[in-house]
Amino acid sequence: MAAADSPSAALRRRDLCSRGIRLAGKMRADVVDLLDAYVEQQGLDASASVAAVEGVPLAAVERWDEQTGTQRLLENLAAYRAFRALLAQMLEEQREQLGEVDAGLGHGLAAVLLQVSAFAYHLEELLRLESRGIPGEEGDGPPPLPHLSLFEQKLRGLGVLRELAQWALRSVRDLRQLAKPSPATSGAPGLAESP
Amino acid sequence: DSHIQYERVGADVTMKCGSMDWDAAVTWTANGTDIDESHLNGSYLILKNVDLSQSGQYSCYEGSSWHLKYQTYLRVGTPPKEPVLMCRSNNYPKGFYCSWHLPTPTYIPNSFNISVIHGTKDMVCEKDAVPKNRCHIRYLQLFSTVKYKVTLTVTNALGKNFTTLTFDEFAIVKPDPPESVVAKPVPNNPRRLEVSWQNPSSWPDPESFPLKFFLRYRPLILDQWQHVELSDGTSHTITDAYAGKEYIIQVAAKDNDIGTWSDWSVAVHATPWTEEPKHLTTEAQITETTSASTSSFMAPPTTKICDKGAMVGSGAMAVCWTAGLVMAAYSVLFI
Repeated sequence: MAAADSPSAALRRRDLCSRGIRLAGKMRADVVDLLDAYVEQQGLDASASVAAVEGVPLAAVERWDEQTGTQRLLENLAAYRAFRALLAQMLEEQREQLGEVDAGLGHGLAAVLLQVSAFAYHLEELLRLESRGIPGEEGDGPPPLPHLSLFEQKLRGLGVLRELAQWALRSVRDLRQLAKPSPATSGAPGLAESP
Repeated sequence: DSHIQYERVGADVTMKCGSMDWDAAVTWTANGTDIDESHLNGSYLILKNVDLSQSGQYSCYEGSSWHLKYQTYLRVGTPPKEPVLMCRSNNYPKGFYCSWHLPTPTYIPNSFNISVIHGTKDMVCEKDAVPKNRCHIRYLQLFSTVKYKVTLTVTNALGKNFTTLTFDEFAIVKPDPPESVVAKPVPNNPRRLEVSWQNPSSWPDPESFPLKFFLRYRPLILDQWQHVELSDGTSHTITDAYAGKEYIIQVAAKDNDIGTWSDWSVAVHATPWTEEPKHLTTEAQITETTSASTSSFMAPPTTKICDKGAMVGSGAMAVCWTAGLVMAAYSVLFI
């Protein structure tokens, strides 16, 4: 689109991508620290395999290098919106278990939740720049889960944080792809749609 | 019939002379040399506690006719110990390779089988032609939290063994060292060295997957390294080199976000720029010659005696006041 390709839009895009890369990098570092604290305080085995849980967006992707810019932004946005709701649920579960927010873990979860929300907003800004409509949020968050035992809640929390750490890594890579200057032709998977 | 027979080191081996009866008269040879009858039990050849040197061709001949009745190639060896397996991605995000070896030789042929599982999916590890103990895999997915499980089984005629590695996609990322490291002095800067390098050629996409670098340097005469970590760019200027000292410099690389540091690059040597030694004019040459038999006072190149502003003379010989006075004093003493 002509507006999205203007020099000022290109500069704004590069600026948003650079800031987004820094945000995602900081978020990943904090999630990794939170993961270590979570494993320790919840008494879990760090190497435990956790089966994919419904509602947790998987960072794993095939043919990542072939994705268009819009695909990257939309998939990232959907993921971080889901994590926003999942982390809010985890915080609530913490409160129920402990009666109040545990100083360490609870604060860590709240801090990461804030960064996830900020990053989601940042992605919306990038989509707006491309004059793409921002998809509406589906319902009120992830579907209500069947009652989980305390141990199952802990394992699910482990799965959420692990996927979030990988998503943060993927987002850094995605934004670097987006920051690459788009060639004149429309065929390349930058921010232009691939044919 | 000629065939191959594998036996463990230390085993007792009994060889029959084909279909010959136990009490038949036979002669055994090992690599063409007759074997003493003390090793025979009837027509059977008995080798006790075999060692590696007893590998070879064993032949049995009928006593009177010297017809060849049986031939075998004995290969003495050992069953395989647990193999050593390593997996690494030096070309992320394209894929990774695994390589292996045995900690001790078996002295007999071995075959290797490698399996790679990602979650429930079997992946094919394509064997490299060179080297033979290596195979590579393309990543079909990126950013997966599911671990990879690689199992290597080694089998020979005397037994088998195996080892397993389990790892995350991002944990095995280790680039090759930077290439084309160059270090040059900086003209008119006695304490600087300019270092430049290139991304390893095996790293497929440094723009999307940028590398960061670690530079280490020290003068040859010291053991302690100085270190600098650089988050971007492929060059750096060292500004605290000891003047006139030869330096050794190396660089390592790491993906900006994941994995481990590469090995150090090939070392390069460089010496910072030094002022060229000045040629003396006639007057000063006389002074120098007179005092040379006893002692001469010439400042070493790295030692600064005076500022350029205090120089007298010009051209090839510019002597500063202080040095001139001292030289004059010496020359007076020895006239």
